[in-house]
Order: sequence, then structure tokens, then C-alpha cells
Amino acid sequence: MPKWPKGTVCKTVIRRFESGRHLQSSLSIMAPRRQLAERPVTALGVIAPPPINIQSPAFEGSLAMLFQCVRDQRIDLLGVPLYPVCEAYFEYLLLSESPNLDEAAAALTALAYLLERKAWLLLPSPEPEPESAEPMQLPESSITDYDLAIGALLAWHAERSLMFFRSPGSGPSPYEFPYELESVSSQDLALAFERLLRRADSAIFEPPTRARRSLSEQIGIVLRAIDGTWRTLGELVTGRFSRADAVYWFLALLELIRVGQVSAKLDGDLVLFCRA
Amino acid sequence: MISSVDRIFALLFVADSPASTEALGASIGLTEGQTTEAIDLLRDRLDREGPLQLVELAGGYQLATKEELSECVSAFLKPQRQRLSKSLMEVLAIVAYRQPITSSEIEAIRGVQSDYGIRILQERRLIREVGRKHAPGRPSLFGTTQQFLHQFKLKDLDGLPKLDAGLAVSLPAVPES
Repeated sequence: MPKWPKGTVCKTVIRRFESGRHLQSSLSIMAPRRQLAERPVTALGVIAPPPINIQSPAFEGSLAMLFQCVRDQRIDLLGVPLYPVCEAYFEYLLLSESPNLDEAAAALTALAYLLERKAWLLLPSPEPEPESAEPMQLPESSITDYDLAIGALLAWHAERSLMFFRSPGSGPSPYEFPYELESVSSQDLALAFERLLRRADSAIFEPPTRARRSLSEQIGIVLRAIDGTWRTLGELVTGRFSRADAVYWFLALLELIRVGQVSAKLDGDLVLFCRA
Repeated sequence: MISSVDRIFALLFVADSPASTEALGASIGLTEGQTTEAIDLLRDRLDREGPLQLVELAGGYQLATKEELSECVSAFLKPQRQRLSKSLMEVLAIVAYRQPITSSEIEAIRGVQSDYGIRILQERRLIREVGRKHAPGRPSLFGTTQQFLHQFKLKDLDGLPKLDAGLAVSLPAVPES
């Protein structure tokens, strides 16, 4: 079973009576076949289940969406706790003044399907991989065989760097900055970004359904972090951060440089930033 | 009357990548032998005088500034530094000698994961994907590029130091970098 990060809440919310569908009278519970056929077809095939919204590290969305994602094998069901979903379903049944039996049945079908799928996933593999009698031997590195060749290549590279050729596509660089950035080139900025990306923690989970962060929000974060001291991007971004965080930081810095609120300069190989 | 040597010189002056003997000859209506002869004459002329030299690399010829002018040219151009770390050089050397090669084969030789090195070398256009191996998963095969030959002043891959069967290396004397 997956372990949730500390502080994670698997929140399940029933939003009853949000749509007009929930305001139908109990007379419509036993809708004739013809009326049923006219109702919108959903991922479940016929009738939408009640809007039970699931929020978990692995999935965020409605029960119908979860059903569809699992059926299409687009999500790992092991990462989604079903217990709170079931609780929410019972709550829906008990608290609804005029429960719609069609919707309740649709939700029950979806839940049954999800529970069965998860149960199968939790079962041990019927054919465990055979274990070799001896521990696997990693191949020994033979890179030293190439040492002299590497030395030669490095020497030739150094020799070649003393020559200058006509560069392809002579003329203004397509990546030329439209504003003055002194000695800092686009490549320097790219290298600074690359260093930051290397520090990013790839273990930080970011659900694809998470709401998209706005750049202006990130610009606010950057402005709060940056002051009159020259610092590298790595020094500005502290603590654990994901690759997406690194991208947001870099984009926000670029935008702030563009609007003249942040200055950049080169210190050896490092690009330093400070409040303009 | 403009000589064949001057015509070749003009073509090489405007070329921004190595020009092959065939391409040069075809442009001015010379046979391969005549073109080679004109190139040799041009090389001798440039070696004797002037700031340029004729370099044979990456399957063709290209004009370059002479090494003794590197200081003033780099002060003017301020070229971007393109350092190659030890790990990148290891990956590059393995690809150069064992191409076409898969990433797992590179890792087997190095004994460490090499994804990063492969990606950076691809970005620098020193190696590229040259095909897929007929093996489970059809892994990508990597090989060196023309840019690799250019960056290491190699005419072709035969210019690499020879490795004998025991992987003992017989290298030409190389200058101290």
C-alpha cells in the first residue's frame, strides 16, 4: 500500500444539490426507459454518479473521472485511497433527502468496479520472478581502457579551439536579447537554469491534475526572495523543490529581467541576480 | 584572369561548413584531380603568408584563422566556453569507438548511469541517434556527428587513435593542452 506523505489529506466532498439534476423530484427516480435514454451519457455509460470529488496525491477529480481513468489505464489505482470515497458514498445515501436511485446505482457500480480492480492489484503476483542463486554481478567499469584516447581527444579539442571558422548563419543571432544584459548571454542563463534543474528533487510528486500556477504568483514569490544582494539562482531557491518549481522560478526571473526589476551579471561561470 | 586556386579560395571564403572536393570541383567545373591540385596550391600559399590556413576536417576543407592569432580573435569574438567534463569525454570516447552503441552498453563500459552525458552530448550535437537496435525494446543506437569531427579537428573517424584487440591504445604524440 502506498504511504501518504505526512500532512496529506484525502478529502472527499459531496457537493449535493449543486446542479439541477439533484433537484429532481422523487417521481423521476424510476424514470422510464425512454427518459433514461435521453439523459446524458457519461463515462459510466448511462447515468452520471453523484459528484463525489476525490482529492488525493495521485488523483484529483470526480468519481466518474476516476472510473474513466482507471478503465483507460491512465492512472495507478494503488495511489488512490478508496475508503474515504466509500464513506462519502454512504454519507450521500444517508444524508440525501431524496436520493436519486439511478445516480446512487451508478456510483455503486463505479465503486464496485474500482474496488475489484484495486483488489486484483493488491494480490501478490502469481508467478514471482525467479531469483538467481548468486547475486547479480554488475559489470566492472572498463573506461580506463579509453584513458589515452580521451587524452588525445582533449588535446585535439584544445588545439581546435585555437582556430576560428566562419560561423554558420552569419548575422544577428536569433537568440539576441532585445535589451541590454551586459556580459550575460542566453547560454549563461541556460546553464544557470540547468544547474538549478539538477538540484531539483525528482521525488516530489506533482499530480498532472493540479491547478496550474500563475506566473504572476511566482513573480511575487521571486520578488519576496530577491533583494539587493547578488546571488545565484541556486542560492535564491532554497529548500526542496521540484523540476516544475525550477521552471517557474526561471521563467519568473526572465520576466523580471525583461521588465527591468531584476539585474543579472556574470561572476566567472555563475550568473548572479539581484533586485534592480 | 582568375585562377582555379583563387576560385577555390573564394568558395572556401564564403563556406560556413567544410566543403568537399567534389562540391568545390563541381561548382567551378574542375575534375577531382584538378581540384585537389588547386587545394594543395592554395594550402601552400596560405601557409606561407596571411592570417588564414586551410584545414581538412569533417570530410571537407574549410578556412580557419591561424593558431597564432587565436588570442586576438577570441578577444574580439568572445566565444562561449564549451567545456567537456571528464564524464562527458568518457561517454563521447565510448560512442566514438563503439558506435553504433546503446545507452545500456555505454553504461556497461562506464559502470555508471550515463543518461545525462548522452543528453548533453546530443544537445551539443556531438552525438546523435543513428538508429534502433534489433533487440527487445528496440533501444536507440548512438553515433558521432559531423560536429564531433569538426570540434576535434578530425578528417573522419579513421583519424581516431587505433585501439587494438586488447584495447591497448597506440596514440600519436599529442601536444600538451
